[in-house]
Amino acid sequence: MSNPKTANVVIIGGGISGVAIAWNLAKKGVKDIVILEKKTVCSGATGRCGAGIRMQWGAEQNCLLAKMSVEFFENANEILEYDRDVEFDQGGYLIVAGNEKENEQFKKNIALQNSLGIPSKHLTPQEAKEIVPHMDETQIVGATFCQKDGHLNPFNTTEAFAKAAERLGVKILKKTKVTGIDVKNDKIVGVETTGGYISTPLVINAAGGWAQEVGKMAGVDLPLYSERHQILVTEPVELIQDPMYMAFSLNIYIQQTPHGSFIMGRSNPEEPRDLRQTSSWQFLHEMINTCTTLLPPLRKLNLVRQWAGLYNMTEDAQPIYGKVDNVEGFWLACGYSGHGFMLAPATGILLTEMILGEPLSIDITNLDLGRFERGELCFETSVV
Amino acid sequence: MYLKTGVADKELVSNALPTEERRASGPYAIIECFQEIPCNPCTEICPFGSILPMDDINDLPRMDYDTCTGCGLCAAICPGLAIFIINESYSDTVASVGIPYEFVPLPQKGDVVKMMDRAGEFVTDGKVLRVVPNKKYENTPVVTVEVPKDKVNEVRFLQLKQEAEVAMPTADPNDEENLPDTTIICRCENITVGEVRKMIDQGYDDFDELKRLIRTGMGPCQGRTCRHLIMQEISRKTGKKFEDIELGAFRPPTKPIQLEQLIGGKEDV
Repeated sequence: MSNPKTANVVIIGGGISGVAIAWNLAKKGVKDIVILEKKTVCSGATGRCGAGIRMQWGAEQNCLLAKMSVEFFENANEILEYDRDVEFDQGGYLIVAGNEKENEQFKKNIALQNSLGIPSKHLTPQEAKEIVPHMDETQIVGATFCQKDGHLNPFNTTEAFAKAAERLGVKILKKTKVTGIDVKNDKIVGVETTGGYISTPLVINAAGGWAQEVGKMAGVDLPLYSERHQILVTEPVELIQDPMYMAFSLNIYIQQTPHGSFIMGRSNPEEPRDLRQTSSWQFLHEMINTCTTLLPPLRKLNLVRQWAGLYNMTEDAQPIYGKVDNVEGFWLACGYSGHGFMLAPATGILLTEMILGEPLSIDITNLDLGRFERGELCFETSVV
Repeated sequence: MYLKTGVADKELVSNALPTEERRASGPYAIIECFQEIPCNPCTEICPFGSILPMDDINDLPRMDYDTCTGCGLCAAICPGLAIFIINESYSDTVASVGIPYEFVPLPQKGDVVKMMDRAGEFVTDGKVLRVVPNKKYENTPVVTVEVPKDKVNEVRFLQLKQEAEVAMPTADPNDEENLPDTTIICRCENITVGEVRKMIDQGYDDFDELKRLIRTGMGPCQGRTCRHLIMQEISRKTGKKFEDIELGAFRPPTKPIQLEQLIGGKEDV
């Protein structure tokens, strides 16, 4: 198969966002969509993420985006006509408060979430221990829990979108790297790749960790940076922990997957801003110290593997959705700040509505690129 | 060269041999231990004190051939299987070689076996004279085989005839017929060759792609066992050269380790 020479839409990045946008556009009848992926589908942040899915957010907009996405994931196998299973396991999210201030904020979050139809609740440490019996409840002052949150298989979910998109004619060119974006008279006219030139009037930057680099190719300096986040996984054991266990104040999350292995990640506030994806022993040391304090029996598990992926960060830890005003045809779906995977269904729907000029299912116009210049940032504090 | 290939060359071996006179006058042990490692069971087991005491446990063993009787205990005790018992005067026409052999099934007295050199290449056929089980000494049997005199210091391993016949058909990795779809290719995750082939047919022709989608290489062995087998399968199905298939990511640690081993104290942060 030779690569296409022209396309109506070129999506840069074969992660969850790229394939979700492509599928939504194709479903609405857009033809000749090409996804360019420098390695293989899911090889970037999507394939490296913790793959937790939650609706327990602090900002109303995120609650709504997450709710839309969870409702999609619940029916993803059917909607995407997937021949395998996206493995959506709604074991819940248990978010623990390490201090009273956090606990009070959580109570406000719960009120907001409940008002939006999200079935979360506040728990005492003892109630939390009933859900995760191996926790040391003396380490926490309270918790929140939502049974509808959970975990997905990120590889299968991305494949499900990719296959559904391909059935609608979307072309995914793997091992094809974008080397330049051709802009003439402030308009996108094409993309240069290692597989040849593709003429196109529309480019979507869904490059995750490399979104800043892609922006520069079109002459746009996006207010984004990337930083490494690390994860480890253990050998599978008998299923003992249903929900994701998360602590914002300690920057950690710990979850047992349906496969039996425990996946845990930790953010380092001092992580430098760059594109490294290397693993460090310091992460292991800190992660395991924290994990075994909170969930002591996990000390007996065997570490199998550790890895790192990139968070593509914005100043307010919120994504950038929408077009770039001074480069016609250049669209952004990046800057997820660590929660791009779980928002992907909403990303796909809303970007498509924006591009086709349709009314938006959820108003996300405030998440545009212009908010940084206007100084109208939309902070979200419930992040790891 | 020895350190690179693991195969001792002629010079190393001839330096380890006793004098011509001693070689002609009855059984003796040859110690083909050429690397200084902390190991000394041979010096402890020898009932005749023929393997001289070491000053340092890393020393190479030294022999007193005047007292060595070729009894074979050192061959059974050596953890590196590096000691052999040679009898060049076994008869007028043939010699015998005693080889530590840790495989099952054991050969039987009278069996004709294939004799291999230090690099594993076939040299000659040999007839098994005796099999000493050595249950007392680490359970390493010593198999003594009759071989032509001029080959006795060349042969160092044996292969059973029927074992050779069974092993041969799978030796050609390009022969797909010999790997049925039901063969488990990833033992940690219990994935069959058939599942891998099905994915390759769908266009997943990269080790890491397969790893993400069907978990091959994601288990405790981290692909140490299956990685090259899967790459071979990709090569066979796609026609790409094996050396052009990407190895995929290697992640730390290299073997599973219990979390509590990594906790440590605050002072070493």
